Amino acid sequence: MVFGEPKRYFVERRVVERMLGTHSGSFEEYFARLRADLDREIEQFVNAFTINETYFYREEHQLACLTTDLLAARLKVKARGSPIRIWSVPCSTGEEPYSIAMWLLENWPHVDEHEIEIVGSDIDTGAVELARAGVYGKRALMRLPPSVVDKYFAFDGDASWRIVDDLRHSVLFTAANIVNRADTVVHGKFDVIFCRNVLIYFDDISRRTAAENLFENLLPGGFICLGHTESMSRISPLFDVARFDDAIVYQRPSR
Amino acid sequence: MADKPRKRVLVIDDASLVRLYYRAALESAGFEVAEALNGLEALEQLLAARFDLLIVDVNMPQMDGLSFLEKLRAKSLPLSSVPALVTSTESAPQRVAAARVAGANFYVVKPLSTETLVQYASLLCGAPHG
Repeated sequence: MVFGEPKRYFVERRVVERMLGTHSGSFEEYFARLRADLDREIEQFVNAFTINETYFYREEHQLACLTTDLLAARLKVKARGSPIRIWSVPCSTGEEPYSIAMWLLENWPHVDEHEIEIVGSDIDTGAVELARAGVYGKRALMRLPPSVVDKYFAFDGDASWRIVDDLRHSVLFTAANIVNRADTVVHGKFDVIFCRNVLIYFDDISRRTAAENLFENLLPGGFICLGHTESMSRISPLFDVARFDDAIVYQRPSR
Repeated sequence: MADKPRKRVLVIDDASLVRLYYRAALESAGFEVAEALNGLEALEQLLAARFDLLIVDVNMPQMDGLSFLEKLRAKSLPLSSVPALVTSTESAPQRVAAARVAGANFYVVKPLSTETLVQYASLLCGAPHG
């Protein structure tokens, strides 16, 4: 694995994670532990780098579900001319909201017919800054077809690629904590929310609070997509489960 | 292929996703593409550079597409004669008529497939490779 300058933040975050995990008081202390491979720290360290890193077009089947079923269902009940609003929360360093935008451009024949607002939010302001900058390493692009990379990225040198300006401007990035109602309510109501692989890290009370907050952020009949290992049925009874060909998602009841 | 100057298209739309969608389609068909966010910006760009075709959205802030076309058609030649393709979600005949009066050469109802867009663009300013 090679991490260039654009990945500095990612590296720092993992190192700090491991320092906390080993109760190391300083980087020197942690580094000594790593060199000595105390309690098999090398393996832990490597794991910290290989899991949880996100990439473009992750869980592509949900993006397929968005363009084949979810948007069609929303358009049936929406007033003509009202914007389609999609929220990616947490959005980490922006791969998911940009993936949504690229997926719509590539796969949704109605993309020029509607006003589309895509919002990406994360509790981590450092991640939000990186999302806004839109510069990515090779690994984040691994699932994208070359034609998509050519269209929506400019090679920046140093093994990094920059999202083209029009695409950057089509996503609004904000800082928000989904457990905090004051943070979520200001974002308004959405047609579709992507909230993937975060609720699993919360305790039961925070999980339920987040689910209730996000429920309030959905328009009646709006959809929320969770990670494929997550189930809303275990968290909150507020939502209906909706099964489509490409994915199982949850829906705020229409009435 | 000889190095013929490529046909230049100005895409005028306030939605960045739409501009990107049209730009990608036109560029892959060999056109050179510039963008403006509204009519005012488009007029400014037209004073600075030559274009072979305008693709004009109707609903935009600052200056909407039809006001832009009226202003453009009132200017002197050759600026006033640049062909314009108006794109809109409205299909009512009176909207089409209003666009024609304002100076639209063609009027197409969104959504546009990339093929349709390229077809119209080629038709209005000649195929990109002649």
